[in-house]
Amino acid sequence: MTLGRIFIVLLGAAVTAAPACRRASYEADDPSRIHVGIVFDIGGKDDRSFNAAAWAGVKCAETGKLIDGVSPCDKPALGIVLRDVEPGTPNSIEPAMRAFAERGYDLVIGVGFTQAPIMRVVAKDYPNIRFAVIDGVVLEDDGTPTPNVASLVFKEHEGSYLVGIIAGMTSRTGTVGFVGGMDIPLIRRFEKGYEEGARSVNPAIRVVQNYVGVTDAAWNNPGKGKELSLAQIDKGADVIFTAAGNSGLGAFDAVEQKGMQSGRATHFVIGVDSNQNGVKPGFVLTSMVKRVDNAVYNIVRDVVNGDFKGGFHVFGLESDGVGYVVDEYNKDLVSAEAIAAAEAAKKKIIAGQITVTDAMAQ
Amino acid sequence: MDQLFTMSLVFSTIRLATPLVWAAIGGLYSERSGVINVALEGLMLAGAFTAAAVTFYAGNPWAGLACAMLAGGFVAYLIAVACIRFKANEVVTGTGVNILFLGLPAVLSGALFLSSGSTPQLPKEQLMPSLAQLIPGMPQWRVFTDVSVISLLALVVALATAHVLYRTPFGLRLRAVGENPEAADAAGVRVNRIRYAAVILSGVLAGVGGAYLSIGQSSLFLRNMTAGRGFIALAALIFGKWRPLQTLLACVLFGFADAITIQMQGVAKLPSGEDIPVQFVQMIPYVVTIVMLAGFIGQSRAPSALGIPYEKER
Repeated sequence: MTLGRIFIVLLGAAVTAAPACRRASYEADDPSRIHVGIVFDIGGKDDRSFNAAAWAGVKCAETGKLIDGVSPCDKPALGIVLRDVEPGTPNSIEPAMRAFAERGYDLVIGVGFTQAPIMRVVAKDYPNIRFAVIDGVVLEDDGTPTPNVASLVFKEHEGSYLVGIIAGMTSRTGTVGFVGGMDIPLIRRFEKGYEEGARSVNPAIRVVQNYVGVTDAAWNNPGKGKELSLAQIDKGADVIFTAAGNSGLGAFDAVEQKGMQSGRATHFVIGVDSNQNGVKPGFVLTSMVKRVDNAVYNIVRDVVNGDFKGGFHVFGLESDGVGYVVDEYNKDLVSAEAIAAAEAAKKKIIAGQITVTDAMAQ
Repeated sequence: MDQLFTMSLVFSTIRLATPLVWAAIGGLYSERSGVINVALEGLMLAGAFTAAAVTFYAGNPWAGLACAMLAGGFVAYLIAVACIRFKANEVVTGTGVNILFLGLPAVLSGALFLSSGSTPQLPKEQLMPSLAQLIPGMPQWRVFTDVSVISLLALVVALATAHVLYRTPFGLRLRAVGENPEAADAAGVRVNRIRYAAVILSGVLAGVGGAYLSIGQSSLFLRNMTAGRGFIALAALIFGKWRPLQTLLACVLFGFADAITIQMQGVAKLPSGEDIPVQFVQMIPYVVTIVMLAGFIGQSRAPSALGIPYEKER
């Protein structure tokens, strides 16, 4: 029996001591500095995708460095005090947001569309605190933007159109796949743009699409993401675009499992939000990047400089808010023709000659 | 329809059923001995995290698998101490363990990998191999190339459990302890010792199920990556009337329901030619479960002493 008791005590000690092993490097609260609190989405800041991009943005504003804490992020540090919360369930988002507001933070950032309705309520209770929501829109009852909330939104359909072109021109089977996370209008917007882009270069192309789920658990289920991808590969898809947070990492595993033939992967995946080209080098055709990091950095800078503006902040191709990446990992995978076609389409979209359907506006 | 019922549906079913089989068979040992095990979810998470972390450092999935079994067994030992030695409520203890493993991997991965609940991705070479990769010269059938060895072992474990439970002295004692501990005690069986063994074994097996998620199916651990599979396994156990082969079938049925929703999305169409809504397709596994439970299975009887701590009469 004593053995049992000792074990319980040891476990308790381990649990309480573990966080202390890594001393958090928070400075004492200095009231003269700008305080920024960020509340992540359910995926958490390590999703190597959407949340990771937001984390990169605030981290850059805090330290002037990338997430690894070593390499510079090419933008000056802004001398802010930064705190973050990763809610385990959707129910803990509101208390986290209120905790920041209650402690008088200058800016509270909410990551993800689910936070918009919550922020709408919280922002009303704290009119002197500035808020920013990524991927969501906060409006007053009469449809005008709430003055202390900045809604950072992206034209994902435009970026997805470009990777759709690249997918359509790379596919040899004439079938491309799309794996979405939670089935919501925002993710439909990625899908629709991708489909239109692929169809613009190959009108006969077949697009198979799947969604991991209909609840927010869909962002955190790589096993299901992999199964969906394997099912699409069985249906002939040889390029798969994911917009599924952590679940999308399953698609990377699926194309890797299919292997290479004479030095070139037989199936490709297209990453999303962050640059994921380096996640499985050789298998990632390109990434549809959404510069959440820049948007977040800029809103923090606006608060620091005292020129914060509420309302819509829209990031599209013209401001490089969305786009695709060619780097050392994928420069041999994407053909020059595909890049030329994507660049031409980009110019036409900016000039208004091509209109990509916005599935969210429908 | 011919697009729906393909061989890939079969292999998808096998892959999706694997973690359920390991966890459910693990739960079977514990529950047949009279200890409720709602901690399967937490035990799987313990196994999944340990497997991914150890494989990352050791570069060898077998080391990861072994440590996942140890971790599952150790956590189950703690449950056993709480529930058997200290007679804590088994449902509450199990729930506590489940909640603990929502948070503990995040803390540990913060210390080890400077992340908040995920481990670095492992290259394909460091994942659990298929039988064809393991033994050169196997025929290149899909059951040997597309299915991890853990899936094949799951079948072996389920069959072995049926043998152990009904044809060995340990199995007889296990069932006696779960049905009527007083009588077993009078016959000279050390009730709590059997229960300790059963609970620890359930942790070891659930740990393997978790390891399959992180180093078999996927290539990394993520916070709460079991996504409720521990509870589905528990449902399969009850569904299978606490019997090994029926439980195996229940797991396969759940795996099949999951696989068919994956295959159906975007393939099945309404007569009007429109896609069936995703939400509707994803309802199917749950509807199947309810219909089967209510209509076809009949009464499922739990071991009589389930959930009752045993106190030796003096």
